[in-house]
Amino acid sequence: MIFREVEDRDLIAKARRGDVEGYNLLVSRWEKRVFNYLLRLVSNREDALDLSQDVFLKAYQNLPKLDDPARFSGWLFRIAHNEAFSLLRRKRPETDLEFQPSAPATEGRLLPMELSLAVDSALKRLTDDQREAVLLKVYQGFKFDEMAEILDCPVSTVKSRLYTALDILKTVLAPAVALKGDALRGES
Amino acid sequence: MSCTSYDWKAYALGELDLPTRREAESHAAMCAGCREELATLRLTLDSLSTLREEEIPKRIAFVSDKVFEPRWWQRVFSPNFAAACVIAGAILVHAFAHPAASPELVQSQIDAAVNKAVAEVEARHAEQTERIFSAYDNRFSQMYRTAAGLVRQ
Repeated sequence: MIFREVEDRDLIAKARRGDVEGYNLLVSRWEKRVFNYLLRLVSNREDALDLSQDVFLKAYQNLPKLDDPARFSGWLFRIAHNEAFSLLRRKRPETDLEFQPSAPATEGRLLPMELSLAVDSALKRLTDDQREAVLLKVYQGFKFDEMAEILDCPVSTVKSRLYTALDILKTVLAPAVALKGDALRGES
Repeated sequence: MSCTSYDWKAYALGELDLPTRREAESHAAMCAGCREELATLRLTLDSLSTLREEEIPKRIAFVSDKVFEPRWWQRVFSPNFAAACVIAGAILVHAFAHPAASPELVQSQIDAAVNKAVAEVEARHAEQTERIFSAYDNRFSQMYRTAAGLVRQ
């Protein structure tokens, strides 16, 4: 991880000197993560791809303003967050759905694909803020303080959103989790 | 029901420092409610991890941007500029190694060449005139002898 950070820093330095290929290499390292973050947030592949391109273009243009290259990932996701929420506000202002309890559990054992679909569906039941908190923490591995910088809010707000989201997910995924728990107990 | 003094979500998400983590683990070893809470959280997080990352449908790449256009010295010291310098240097070296002749020298060389050519032409002309006069003399002598012979007869 340290080696990777050093390499990213080198690529950032190259890009700042005008080396477009250096920047393209940096993009190739981050585009999948940024795309998936945006995809889960806006739930549309075309929008996620367009946003990804905008994110990397803005990052390119603003790279000279990046004070600390070691904080590139948080800075990049901050841009991605701004772009995503700009789109979400344009598309559906104040239309976040209230959480509704999930349907009763079905009998039987969930296949991995079914579980994956259940997770996808469960994430969509969260508000944009809650879903983003889960994406940044669970899928992108940011620390609470890094998330606070990305989202430009206090750590307490980050924790509140994330903990509420986890409570909802726990309830929504309860059937799947129960089946998985049974399966694990059966295997042991 | 878990105990409210332990933040099991922060624990499961890896946000607790080592001493707090150890303390929480010691508590969970003795508290069934907290163990249940932690197990459910872990299963939930495990379930979330089944969501696969998708491949980006189109790679993102940039070819140029005004923000990062090369500076003047980067533009000047390009490979083309280097090649032009080499060619200019070669021309200068050649010029110093083989300097051009002065106009007076060139004029004198031209005059000499013209004089030589004129002399050659004049010599050829004189030789030709000499040959013609010689042939005429021979012919006249022969005619004179023939005429004298006829008179004697």
